[in-house]
Amino acid sequence: MTSDWRLQHELRFPSCQIGSERQVRQERRIPRLFSRWALCMLLAALSLAVVRPDRVAAQTSFADVVDAVQPKIVKIYGAGGFAGLEAYQSGFLISAEGHVLTVWSYVLDTEFITVSLDDGRKFQAELVGTDPRLEIAVLKVPAEQVAFFNLHDAVELEAGDRVLTFSNLFGVATGNEPVSVLHGSVAVKTDLAARRGAFATNYKGPVYVVDAITNNPGAAGGAATDGQGRLVGMLGKELKNSLNDTWLNYAVPIGELVGSVDDIIAGRFRPRSEDDSLKKPTDAHSLATLGIVLLPNVLSKTPPFVDSVLPTSSAEKAGLRPDDLILFVNDRVATSSDTLRDELSYIDRLDPVRLIVERDKELLEVELLP
Amino acid sequence: MRTTAKLGFRFRLIAIGTCAAALVATTAQAQQSADEIRLAEEQAMKTAVATIAPSVVRIETFGGLERVGEQAIAAGPTTGTVVSEDGFVLSSAFNFIQQPSSILVSLPSGKRAAAEIVARDNSRMLVLLKVNTEEKLPVPEFVDPQEMIVGQWSLAVGRTFDPQRPNMSVGILSALDRIWGKAIQTDARVSPSNYGGPLIDIRGRVLGILVPMSPQGGDGAHGQPAEVAGAEWYDSGIGFAVPVVGLLTHLEKLKQGESLQPGLLGVRLKGNNLYADPAEIAVSQANSPAYEAGLRAKDVILAANDRAIDRQAQLKHALGPLYAGDVVKLTVKRGDQQLDFDVTLTDHIDPYEHPWLGLLPMRGPVPEAGGVPVRYLFPESPAIEAGVEPGDVITAVAGEAVADRAALIERLVTQSRDEPVQLTIRRGEETKPIELKLATLSAETPGELPPAVPELPAVEGEQPKTGLIDIKIPEEKNDCVAFVPENYRADLPHGLVVWIHPAGGYKPETLEGRWKVHAERDHFIVLAPQSADPARWTPTEVDFLRKTIEATLDRYNIDRSRVMVHGYQAGAAMAYLLAFTQPELVRGLAVVDSAVPRLAPVPDNDPINRLMIYSVAPTGSKAAPLIEKTVERLREMKFPVEAKTIDGDSRDLSSSELGDLLRWFDSLDRL
Repeated sequence: MTSDWRLQHELRFPSCQIGSERQVRQERRIPRLFSRWALCMLLAALSLAVVRPDRVAAQTSFADVVDAVQPKIVKIYGAGGFAGLEAYQSGFLISAEGHVLTVWSYVLDTEFITVSLDDGRKFQAELVGTDPRLEIAVLKVPAEQVAFFNLHDAVELEAGDRVLTFSNLFGVATGNEPVSVLHGSVAVKTDLAARRGAFATNYKGPVYVVDAITNNPGAAGGAATDGQGRLVGMLGKELKNSLNDTWLNYAVPIGELVGSVDDIIAGRFRPRSEDDSLKKPTDAHSLATLGIVLLPNVLSKTPPFVDSVLPTSSAEKAGLRPDDLILFVNDRVATSSDTLRDELSYIDRLDPVRLIVERDKELLEVELLP
Repeated sequence: MRTTAKLGFRFRLIAIGTCAAALVATTAQAQQSADEIRLAEEQAMKTAVATIAPSVVRIETFGGLERVGEQAIAAGPTTGTVVSEDGFVLSSAFNFIQQPSSILVSLPSGKRAAAEIVARDNSRMLVLLKVNTEEKLPVPEFVDPQEMIVGQWSLAVGRTFDPQRPNMSVGILSALDRIWGKAIQTDARVSPSNYGGPLIDIRGRVLGILVPMSPQGGDGAHGQPAEVAGAEWYDSGIGFAVPVVGLLTHLEKLKQGESLQPGLLGVRLKGNNLYADPAEIAVSQANSPAYEAGLRAKDVILAANDRAIDRQAQLKHALGPLYAGDVVKLTVKRGDQQLDFDVTLTDHIDPYEHPWLGLLPMRGPVPEAGGVPVRYLFPESPAIEAGVEPGDVITAVAGEAVADRAALIERLVTQSRDEPVQLTIRRGEETKPIELKLATLSAETPGELPPAVPELPAVEGEQPKTGLIDIKIPEEKNDCVAFVPENYRADLPHGLVVWIHPAGGYKPETLEGRWKVHAERDHFIVLAPQSADPARWTPTEVDFLRKTIEATLDRYNIDRSRVMVHGYQAGAAMAYLLAFTQPELVRGLAVVDSAVPRLAPVPDNDPINRLMIYSVAPTGSKAAPLIEKTVERLREMKFPVEAKTIDGDSRDLSSSELGDLLRWFDSLDRL
């Protein structure tokens, strides 16, 4: 159903297909090019077989890419403007009828959301719906025949691929000024949920970490594209990586958002249940249930050294010994006694607990059965 | 290694190919070829990262400190770079500042293994880890800095986000030979996400190990541990990496557990402008490597390891990369001779201690026959023990005539402390030699002092205006007044007290009441600069304070050996900052109820720019324990410190306590 809907709109608004026309034109040029560059390009293509012809064909200059993308980006103004909270953020058009995808934030927490298009037109936007788990919101502005990104055409990237990000960071663009374009590379694609508690965000899925300083105030909701202007992700809110105390620059892959966005637009959005890995079981393991006594917790970062093991406990049966240092619990790192206790509270009492411990400079794995 | 070489060859082919193509292409095709280059580059970068990836290990630490100084310590993970296949990994000292109780390294096989720190490079802030494994680790190829070119691609690689995949950041090499020759610079994003990982070229070869670094260095004194200095610049476009090639020659030493220290020479150069002054030795400190090798004051260093030295900065550059134990060949000019010395650098130089005769010189006109007349002798000082009396005139040191106080101090600074020194004194008509051993400068407050200036003939001609004078610095919005005593005369060098008001400002009219009597009796000017915001000083206003002093030095006849900055609480904190950052201006520092503020970089005790400190702690002040620690530390650094306590809670000096301070101030030109 979704694809039908898309087709219809693209037919109705041929102006939105400029990008694809250009693509076709370039594909035709390929054979001629190859004959001219004969040997050297052949060598290049052979030695770097990974450079696929279709990608070569679709390449355009950054200038063309920026021209094609800018009409799809919007500036959003709403609540805020005090106590260091900016009253603006970014977004991008995702349908010819004026649907806008952006982040769900306090900026939208008002009756009067203003969306400013690339051509300077301003609209009062309607909040169509939100997904708090993904921290996204869909707005609609009464504009027609607008250029837009089709979420179903979004592409995936890998580390090392170039990225362009479009956003109104720091609110420098006003009126009909185009938003700022930043250029960088994908540093890595990683999962925010991989380290529990590292990031203060509801969204726990994969992100593209970008090596440019893209996620500044006002940038959230902006678009990340590849070097050809194809949609890749949406810039997220400012986020600090508590594991090393640095600001994270990242975009959420569109693939993570598209299902929910389709549901919001179709009016059938249902809040999903929380990520299972974040839920604590009602009856969880603890040091006492396993029979482990740790060294007294004198500092907040006391390392989890085993002080003693209770007789006949599952710890004793598994061969855990005094002076063992517990490093991992079910492959999650236990940097201190406190984090060990916390990690155990996520494991159901009916499940086994796998520990990696350090004993005399050797690492050992022990499994404690319930 | 063979694969990377082949890859490089391939990449050159592509580059040649695309360049050749660009020549024949039309505009549209040129566009196409630019795209080709971009894609080829992108692919080459990915291949480079894939090449280095097995040598980039993830490090996890367990336990350790929550915070170090002001710095909260995050839990990691961090990155390391393999340097030898038998389990040795280099990383940044930043990653271990919390002194973890346990360290784990994830190996290319996916297994984790315990590791420990075997040695440190305290010059470049690296650590060497030994991983407890039988697994042979893949050693990357290291690039010699000689081959590096500013502008070439450089990729910063870490393994902190994901154990399976390295994270990368693309940039170019921004500069070579940074941080006094220790580091190279890149605009790739360098942060705790990749500290300890490699900076690689487009062939996947290691250019250096990523570290935080700052040209100012850092130690406890700067409020920031050396391991984290420069970390505030993370992701800023200024990132540093330490080339590994120079370090590899020391790798065996490190593997044996021997840490590397910065190499020290032990000389003080003449002049303060690193970029203008030649490397002339002012003081070759006793027992230092320079002194032991035979370098002496007035030698001018012309070359270090055959690298020509025209200015002091070049010497700093030449010595920066060297470690303690390294031998440097110094070529010096001594008179008309050119001499070579091989100096073995050391890791520790004792702080400098100023010489001490224990006397005050007379001021005013120099005696016609030259020499330094004695005004006062400190009790139990070397001079009084040797039989020097007030009124004696010191005419020579070790047979060399001294014309005035400046010449005398210059002679004393270069004398050995272990051997007796010959002084020649004139007493009445008689000239006699005396012998004494120099002691260490004492900051004690003298007793009642006789006048420093003999009766002077009345002044003739017009004299400058006295009383409250506005000192305006055109480009600064701050105000400043000077109180010039009524008996000021331009032919007599005056002392200068820079009084820095505490938070809340002050009224210029009140200056006279507090200072008039003292300023007339002891011949000094009081300078009272004002903060732009009366409620508080900001550290950047130090620049304004400096300018007011310089303006006063220009306008009045000031004795440079008697310039003192003085303040209470916030004023004292600013006084510390001013004295420590402007060593060539300030000779005395009198602080009431303040410890060294965190921002103030404590300098080394300097043989040329002598600084004496007078610290007053009210016994009931909250700051009292910190002040005590400050005094202790400054004394360890061999600063001459007079520490006083006064009764009561936080308060400024009473008028009699101010009298004590001003007696001390009147003895700042002690010898």
